[in-house]
Amino acid sequence: MTLVIHDVKKEFGRHKAVDGITLTVEKGSMFGMLGANGAGKTTTFRMILGLLDPTEGYVTWGGSPLSYKRTHLVGYLPEERGLYPKLTVKEQLLYLMRLKGMKKSDVIGAMREWLERFRVTEYENKKVEELSKGNQQKIQFIASVLHRPELLILDEPFSGLDPVNTDMLKEAIQDLQKMGTTIVFSSHQMRNVEELCEDLIMLKRGRAVLQGNLRDIKRSYGMKNVIIQAGYNLEFLNSIHGVMNVEKTNGGAIVSVENEKAAEDLFIAIAETGYVRKFEVEEPSLHDIFVDKAGGDDNE
Amino acid sequence: MNNFWITVTHTAGKRIRSKAFIWSTVITMLLIIGMMNANTILSSFSNDEQDEDVPQSIAVVDNTTSNDTMGEMLASNEEGSFHYVNYTDGNQQEALEQARNEVYDFVLTLNGDPANLEAELFGSGNDYRMGQEVEQDVQRVKESVVTNQLDLNEEELAMIYSPVAFIEQPLTKNGEVQTEETHMQAYWMVYGLVFVIYLIVLSLGSMIATEVATEKSSRVMELIVSSVNPIVQMFGKLVGIGIVGLVNLASLVAAVIIGFLINDNNMLSSILGGAADVSLLVYALILIILGYFVYGGMAAMLGALVSRAEEVNQAIQPLIFLAMIAFFMAIFGLNAPDNIFIHVLSYIPFFTPQLLFLRIGMGTVPVWETILIVGLLILSAILINLLAARIYKGGVLMYGKFSFKNGIKQALTMSKKEK
Repeated sequence: MTLVIHDVKKEFGRHKAVDGITLTVEKGSMFGMLGANGAGKTTTFRMILGLLDPTEGYVTWGGSPLSYKRTHLVGYLPEERGLYPKLTVKEQLLYLMRLKGMKKSDVIGAMREWLERFRVTEYENKKVEELSKGNQQKIQFIASVLHRPELLILDEPFSGLDPVNTDMLKEAIQDLQKMGTTIVFSSHQMRNVEELCEDLIMLKRGRAVLQGNLRDIKRSYGMKNVIIQAGYNLEFLNSIHGVMNVEKTNGGAIVSVENEKAAEDLFIAIAETGYVRKFEVEEPSLHDIFVDKAGGDDNE
Repeated sequence: MNNFWITVTHTAGKRIRSKAFIWSTVITMLLIIGMMNANTILSSFSNDEQDEDVPQSIAVVDNTTSNDTMGEMLASNEEGSFHYVNYTDGNQQEALEQARNEVYDFVLTLNGDPANLEAELFGSGNDYRMGQEVEQDVQRVKESVVTNQLDLNEEELAMIYSPVAFIEQPLTKNGEVQTEETHMQAYWMVYGLVFVIYLIVLSLGSMIATEVATEKSSRVMELIVSSVNPIVQMFGKLVGIGIVGLVNLASLVAAVIIGFLINDNNMLSSILGGAADVSLLVYALILIILGYFVYGGMAAMLGALVSRAEEVNQAIQPLIFLAMIAFFMAIFGLNAPDNIFIHVLSYIPFFTPQLLFLRIGMGTVPVWETILIVGLLILSAILINLLAARIYKGGVLMYGKFSFKNGIKQALTMSKKEK
């Protein structure tokens, strides 16, 4: 079972929300979708789920589109969280999972396992509106995985969680992947993407600005940071061709360069000037790439 | 189809099991039962029951040429609701004085001769029927005095007063004729049904719209429509809330029946027996259900266009206006069911349930016309629901400020079937 998105476009009137995305997600892999707000992530997710029809192109899971007959194969955690505030956790999950075709007894069993895993067993018969936001989020996550979907779509799964709960959720997602679940998720928090994803796509105004394996992207990405520690003023480095920015640090500077060649020029220039305690060429972080490519920082 | 029934039971079950629903139903039932037995309850509180049993007394001052015969005849009248006293102790002034001193309740003076009798009633009170009854009594006495003077015997009198055998017959074999009885029966049924439809639109319509808007504002909608086709979900909701409405209606009917049983009078049997016109009840049920789908589909659509539950009232305003217009037209039409205005408007689906029923109940609508109009109603119910489903599908994914024009346009773009 692979998820195939082939040259998909979606237009709302004149507005192009998604403009020609092609990607393949292999079974059991974890795929990251990045992009600023309004880049087309949610629209793409909705097209994968069949909530929206693509204007052009197609989306298939295991060779055919995800229609309502196959909805039990997918789990979805929408970006805008929401549950019935007046229903208890149990009633809630029962209704949602029965819509996915599960039997009542199966739901109860699986629900207790998950509540235990997230250490919230005492909330089984509590109304959702009485739970804290973080706990509501856990219930929401349970609602997207309880029926053991083959494909799991997580739209911003970590937003609004404290570090402890983020780790708990991360672990759960990794376990699901080990069990063979294919996972597609979006996040603003680049650190989480770097930790979890092998492959990713970065969207800007509906187009892919970057796509492929995370390590390859980083290695081949031109922009690099050079960390220098030296006992003299480094501002003269600005004049070297290929240097984009010199940021002063305690006892040195971090210099952004366009490519490896500029780093070499930088090294020669410094060696001619004097002694350096440290000279290190660093791969750019996903955060830097995001800011560079998607334009605009969007850490939530 | 399975998801359809899960939605139906979820929607109906959640409502029916809610405390608010149970209590409001119980309270309404008690109110109905209470109001139907208001007489019994009120009289059990008032201790002056005896006052009601003693008839009011009327002093009759007979100034006619009949030498007090009329006064005496009135006084000897054992029937009727008044106690007449032939006042011979003085003139009108003295009788009035006595009445002011509460010896008598009223004073009746008779002047002229029996053939041209003038009667005056002095008194106070708020019972407008009183004058009519006294007038009838005086009229009867006058008739017997006059016939007596004319020297008519019993047989001749019987010939004058024997009632006419009056029977109404239809012109054609299967035709119908409105007698006063069937007219009143239809009148009240139409009145009742028009009111029921109005209530259904108001309460169930806003219930549907609120339900949809609440699911949207709590953002659970996106999760639901990723599992269920929004169109299946919409009809599941319509049927689910319809069941809630039926349960509510059934409880009200039950309350009415219980009320009659407690009241222990034979009105129940007379109404049930009187409503022998089962076809009218069947029409009522068909029109209520079709009307529900016309208005319910619209309500679901409007609910899907808003993002917050607070905006529901604003969104369903046009629907409420339509129902109100239909309601007032039907009330007006009760007295003129054959009006051309009513006739034409009964073809418009939003008014059909009330106005067609009014026309069927109060007048005679040819069978072909009934079939035509009901057919139109079914067709428009289907069309409205198809359109509503389209808008619903797009609307549930849409958030933002509410506006009819842009909202509908945007919803249609969202739900656009590509290729």
